[in-house]
Amino acid sequence: MARGLKREHAAAWLLLGPSSVALTLLFVLPIGLMLVTSLTDPRVSLAHYQRIFTVPLYTHVMLNTFVTSLIVTALCLVLGYPVAYVMARRSDWVSTALLTIVAMSFWTGFLVRTYAWLVILGSKGPVVATYQALGLGGPAPKLLFTSFASTLGMTHILLPYMILALFAVMKKIEPEHLKAAASLGARPLAAFGEVFLPLSLPGVVNGSLLVFVSCLGFFVTPILLGTPRDMMISQLINQQIEELLAWGFASAVAVVLLVATGLILAVYNRFAGLDRLWG
Amino acid sequence: MGLILAILVALFLLLPIVIVVPMSFSTAISFEFPPPGYSLGYYAKYFTSEEWLEPTLNSVVIALGATVLTMLLVVPAAFGYVRYRFRGKAFVNLLMMAPLVVPHVVSALAYYGFLGRARLTGTHLGVIVAHGVLAVPVAFLVITATLKGFDRNLERAAMSSGAGPLRTFFHVTLPVLRPGMLVGALFAFLSSFNEAVVVIFIGGRQATTLPRKMYESIRLESDPVIAVVSTLLVSAVVLGVLVSVFLRRRPAHAT
Repeated sequence: MARGLKREHAAAWLLLGPSSVALTLLFVLPIGLMLVTSLTDPRVSLAHYQRIFTVPLYTHVMLNTFVTSLIVTALCLVLGYPVAYVMARRSDWVSTALLTIVAMSFWTGFLVRTYAWLVILGSKGPVVATYQALGLGGPAPKLLFTSFASTLGMTHILLPYMILALFAVMKKIEPEHLKAAASLGARPLAAFGEVFLPLSLPGVVNGSLLVFVSCLGFFVTPILLGTPRDMMISQLINQQIEELLAWGFASAVAVVLLVATGLILAVYNRFAGLDRLWG
Repeated sequence: MGLILAILVALFLLLPIVIVVPMSFSTAISFEFPPPGYSLGYYAKYFTSEEWLEPTLNSVVIALGATVLTMLLVVPAAFGYVRYRFRGKAFVNLLMMAPLVVPHVVSALAYYGFLGRARLTGTHLGVIVAHGVLAVPVAFLVITATLKGFDRNLERAAMSSGAGPLRTFFHVTLPVLRPGMLVGALFAFLSSFNEAVVVIFIGGRQATTLPRKMYESIRLESDPVIAVVSTLLVSAVVLGVLVSVFLRRRPAHAT
């Protein structure tokens, strides 16, 4: 028995060992080196971390990242819920069409969608043209390279994640529950509020977490559509590396982002189990 | 009411993707919508310029290389993970999922430092290593799920009929698992092909992929050829999604 177990252990580690070593060397080690850099470049100190949390410029970046991520998450939830609801409650061509559109959006690369917003919001784009055609007077408001553009772009890109997370939970809600509520005299709105909404909450939590965490570290869209005046964390990292070659400080900012993300996921793991997030 | 909202949101998702198509046939020299005129000029430019064809080729080569690396890392690990009980299982799971948990911009900076020390920034090998590792979680999820659904009685039947372990593996286990493996490999390929953050940090001139080229093109020059590339990418996605929807609706077919 003990011998059989030992052999089983040996077989498991023969299969898992090489991959585990490779991931440790090719993923954990690079992250570890970055952590070391944040503490030692240019000299050994905690100065970078102190600056991140005390210099107004950087605390503003942290706060802005947090607030923007909350706004994007709320927008995705408000926009995504009705879509997921209709997809889950119907089983006709409407449901299939919606799922097809969500899947197309999901698989279209970030760059393609960011480029599309650049065209739509640009000074030669349809929004400005409409504004001028309506003769609302004055120069058209500047849309591109603002927090508004960046928030809109990120919402558009992350919305499919929210819808798919909501849909995964909603499609498992038995229609019988709602029928039972109706037969007991609940009006449709009450049946929705008392039965469907509470049962869909795990999807709301999953989708919100996924969108919020993705948004914290979002890179391409804030840089291309946003403004350096309202930087997000990833813009700060990019600026510190690209313009200043400040390895130590950029690494410290990345570590703060990593720890924040890790804490949020750890809390979720404590209450729900991480496996459910991607399940 | 819900339906109307859902349709409006679906249009919000769809329209920006559709808008790149007329843009690709435009004659404008910058990003202008609606286009002032239509031509195939930018298609001709895309299909004849090294500047765009090379990143396209790089994207394919790097995504293929990354897929091979991902599968080498994931397939044995998935078998070990699903089929055996051992101490440290939760830790192995965390290790395999780590690249998904860490924000890409953090991984990108870490790889920039790490691969720089190894003199691998700006090389195909460097990007393949990074993309191969980053695609591990998604492939691991797909392939462990496939393995959990595998009926081991099939293997026992083959063994008791006299087939050796290797013969059983190649003639029974692998054919049954093939669809799941292919989906895992496809996800790994797409993960690398669409990846835009790490490659912006480490790709350099030599290993520029399409997303990196598009990023630079938007930032530096507003080259309208990007609309052609976008249209081709969107067409591929539309084709892929429609095929998968069609396959899913076909009843009674083993997946």
